[in-house]
Amino acid sequence: MESKNMSEQQEISLSILKKRWLKFKTLRRGYYSFIIILTLYILSWFLPILINNRALVVSYEGDLYFPVFSGYHAGSVFHQDVPGEAVYRELKAEWKQADSENWLIMPPYPYSPYEDITVQGNKMFEEPSSTHWLGTDNTGRDVFSRLCYAFNISISFALILSTLNYFIGILIGGSMGYFGGKFDLIFQRLIEIWSSLPMLFVIIIISSIIRPTFFLLIFIYTIVNWIGMTYLMRAEFYREKSKDYVAAALSMGQTNFKVMFKHILPNSLVPVITYFPFSVVGGITALVSLDYLGFGMPPPTPSWGQMLDVGLSNIPKWWMVFAPVSAQFVTLIMVVFIGEAVREAFDPKVYSRLR
Amino acid sequence: MTTYFIRRILLMIPTFLGSTILIFVILQMAPGGPLERTIQQLQAGAMQQGESVGSVGDIMGGGSSVLPESALRELKRFYGFDKPIYQRYMIWLGIWPRETKHREVEFKDGAIELQKNVGRGNYMTLKLEGEKVGVYNSDGTISEIWKAAIDKDASKDGKLLATIFQSEFSGILTGNLGTSYTYDQPVTDVMAPRFKISMFFGLTGMFLSYLVCIPLGIRKALNHGSAFDFLSSVVIFVAYSIPGFALGGVLLVLFGGGSFWDVFPLGGFRSPTEVWETLSVWGQIKDQLWHAVLPIIAWSIGSFAGLTVLMKNSLLENISQDYIRTAFAKGLQEKRVIWVHAIRNSVIPIASGIGGVIGVVIAGSYLIEKVFNIDGFGKMGFQAILDRDYPITLGFLVIVVVIRLIANILSDIALATVDPRIRFR
Repeated sequence: MESKNMSEQQEISLSILKKRWLKFKTLRRGYYSFIIILTLYILSWFLPILINNRALVVSYEGDLYFPVFSGYHAGSVFHQDVPGEAVYRELKAEWKQADSENWLIMPPYPYSPYEDITVQGNKMFEEPSSTHWLGTDNTGRDVFSRLCYAFNISISFALILSTLNYFIGILIGGSMGYFGGKFDLIFQRLIEIWSSLPMLFVIIIISSIIRPTFFLLIFIYTIVNWIGMTYLMRAEFYREKSKDYVAAALSMGQTNFKVMFKHILPNSLVPVITYFPFSVVGGITALVSLDYLGFGMPPPTPSWGQMLDVGLSNIPKWWMVFAPVSAQFVTLIMVVFIGEAVREAFDPKVYSRLR
Repeated sequence: MTTYFIRRILLMIPTFLGSTILIFVILQMAPGGPLERTIQQLQAGAMQQGESVGSVGDIMGGGSSVLPESALRELKRFYGFDKPIYQRYMIWLGIWPRETKHREVEFKDGAIELQKNVGRGNYMTLKLEGEKVGVYNSDGTISEIWKAAIDKDASKDGKLLATIFQSEFSGILTGNLGTSYTYDQPVTDVMAPRFKISMFFGLTGMFLSYLVCIPLGIRKALNHGSAFDFLSSVVIFVAYSIPGFALGGVLLVLFGGGSFWDVFPLGGFRSPTEVWETLSVWGQIKDQLWHAVLPIIAWSIGSFAGLTVLMKNSLLENISQDYIRTAFAKGLQEKRVIWVHAIRNSVIPIASGIGGVIGVVIAGSYLIEKVFNIDGFGKMGFQAILDRDYPITLGFLVIVVVIRLIANILSDIALATVDPRIRFR
């Protein structure tokens, strides 16, 4: 009996979700942005084989090498006269010129985000050209390559950050709204104290003490950033708590935990979902700001903020400013489009005309 | 209503104490503080002179070191690290006596009385009285200005060291924010001119964005779905997706004369003082505005999108309400219905946001100040963190916190003024 009810319930909630998804699909601006971002993000996980200075396959004197996967091969392995690692781009040119039997396949864009001026043939501040699509930076690294890798890092950062914030925000905000009373009062005071601090400064202070890594930075940012979600969830849980289905569930002997997360949470998901894309926007912007100030990812991690910093200290090198700002802009505007469409699909507001 | 605001203001006190304790603890716990920095610098100086030195740990531990112990004690006293953290916090607040004008004395060979020159030829007599040290004027009366205490940490190996000092209550509650380590000036003197600069940009930016956003939002709501609405929405999306400082960077590259047009200066609040002083009053105004155009655009863009959309949605929501239909039904003109009835209710959310805007405008602008190299309030705070200049960092954070708390109350007051229905309890 109960299981039948459950499945019916699921069917109904599924159909609501489906309806919303169908509505979302009709909002083309948001839907296409979603497809593009998703594709780019998935592609960005394959960047090592798309944008890299290591060859995909090398056939040298009958042996096959896969430097992208196997990593470091000294130049001497291929009888190339360079110190340290083999320079595959030059190797390719050499072999082509000599018409040798050896061959290698480079990734479509053969520059790594980390190879700087110490690698032969790289120059500082090269203008955009057909070889370096967006030029090179102050240490001779390829801007386009760094831009792409930074895209992956930015999106991952924002996604993990938002998810964590949501998790904590729902847990604390939900409990505040659900239990109320002293618990609510104490946490409200704590939140008021915590939110009166200028957060970016707190992060800078913490980051200047410990050099953050990717996950440490997410952790630090979560500590200061979970508050926004608690307000929303507190209000939602507070409202839902007084409804009949909660009383019914409680009278049937459901535990508080089950009532909160099995019954109330699904009913308060609309603000959670509609707010998510904007939370991602916030995450990306935060990372760029921190990197720009020099308190973000440890160098030489590719990042838009760090590139912007280089660009703004060398104003005539316009591509160093335009490239990261455009990348950030395009990414953010697509996420905003998604957010707007999601809001429209989940929480439609129909305004009547004047009369 | 009055009781509500009095309660709100009283509630500010625990919040203020809570956040300052938090800031204080975070800063004081941080390794690499000013004391360690100074020691490192002294050590580096000694290294250059070719002396062999141990690590910082050695010096701190008082082992073989270049710094004599008395110098180390002096440094600790200067940075206030000779006291436990709760005392330091209370001294900083101004509710625990602050000790100044330290002088060290040593009771040699079991002596229980000695004389110390405290400047201008004044001699004080110090007498050992059990665990305490009494200070007497030359005429034998007990001194009211000078106090003395045995320095227990320093008294070792049969030596008996004491310090003589003056004490006063002086902290942020008495308006004393301390003296900056890096500028070597009172913190308030360092802050005042920079705060003015940030206020100039912040308030101008805020004023301009309200001036643009409210009419724009109204127009968009009235022409909802029109071509104008669509086009301005595009602008709003663009504005929302580009952070102010990034836009500032782009503007600088375009108009700062690097590779494109040379229209505006590359940064700074105004021309350098040498140039500034030669200008006429009219020239000074022009110079100031010429420097301010780009930063203010960057400043305003942050609140532009949010404010416009807020205004538009709020008006749209109000227009679809029943009381508007009633107003039309009883034969009022459209102009009157919108401008008197609908607008009045629609600016309520904008009014409640004003406090938040003030807080952000004054404190949240260091990114833009950094891009345009404006020596403002935010940049000062940022630099102080880098330099470990604790008096400035603390003073900066305290002011930001206070501004935020006041801004919150201002929001409520604005809300209550605009919306007479609201009754706070």
